[in-house]
Amino acid sequence: MRVLIKLFATFREGRFKSEEWELAPGATVAEVLSRLKIKPEEVSIQLVNGKDAALGQVLQDGDVMALFPPVGGG
Amino acid sequence: MSRFPDRYRRNAQTISPENQTKIQASTVAVIGCGGLGGYIAEELARLGIGRLILIDGDRIEESNLNRQLFATEKVVGTPKVESAGKRLREVNSEVKLELFQDWFKEEKAQTLLTGADVVCDALDSIPARLELERSCHALNLPLVFAGIAGWYGLVGVSFPGDQSVARLFGQGERGVETVLGNPPFTPAVVASLAVAEAVKTLLGKESVLRHAWLQVDLLAMEFEKFYLQI
Repeated sequence: MRVLIKLFATFREGRFKSEEWELAPGATVAEVLSRLKIKPEEVSIQLVNGKDAALGQVLQDGDVMALFPPVGGG
Repeated sequence: MSRFPDRYRRNAQTISPENQTKIQASTVAVIGCGGLGGYIAEELARLGIGRLILIDGDRIEESNLNRQLFATEKVVGTPKVESAGKRLREVNSEVKLELFQDWFKEEKAQTLLTGADVVCDALDSIPARLELERSCHALNLPLVFAGIAGWYGLVGVSFPGDQSVARLFGQGERGVETVLGNPPFTPAVVASLAVAEAVKTLLGKESVLRHAWLQVDLLAMEFEKFYLQI
């Protein structure tokens, strides 16, 4: 199955802005994070098709997953 | 029609005299007087807000000079709210100022935010921001939240019960700003976006950043809105 991975802010550094990945059926949000070498605690929010997603959410063919780091300064 | 002061005349096609009167009768609390808070307070004062509550326990340090509007070489060492007060009185003496050299804490919220119509988050830590949202909602106050880090920023509006800040920041432990710092242009841009939302909220206009946030990337020059699904 194919899933579009979109990265924001610092997550793009050394990675990419947007990439389509071929994933095995049953792949979860957590597995994508692990492949990206992003720890769950480094993520402020993860959206799948525009909705907050849990780490254990199973991805489906055609999903769009977006990852944001916490931007918390003032 | 009531007297429309010359200083606001140039705004009149954007902010009607009726709305200007509303703004002059409103109170905004700005929590944090650093990078974001400085610009937010300045813009609200120039807009002619009736009353500004400024809260910051910190003093100006040399490291603030790169980005904070109220930080000048002469005032290093003085409390941030004191420097803010001096500048804002020069900008618009009609604005009533309430300055608290204090750190925002949930248990002090009722005292610090008394009479506020809108609260602007200009804090520099995620736990403090979560605490502020809880406090605002307990007091039935709308919150304009904002955050910055390096080239990046975000802004949104959270009404009582929305829990937008909790959903957006609930998971991240430490913001990337702790590594990236903040250049001068990021707080200026994001603070201006926050003030636009604060004004719309004060005037009862529908907020397009409710249940949402605007993700700002000044490196890629991208502004994109994302939704927090209800």
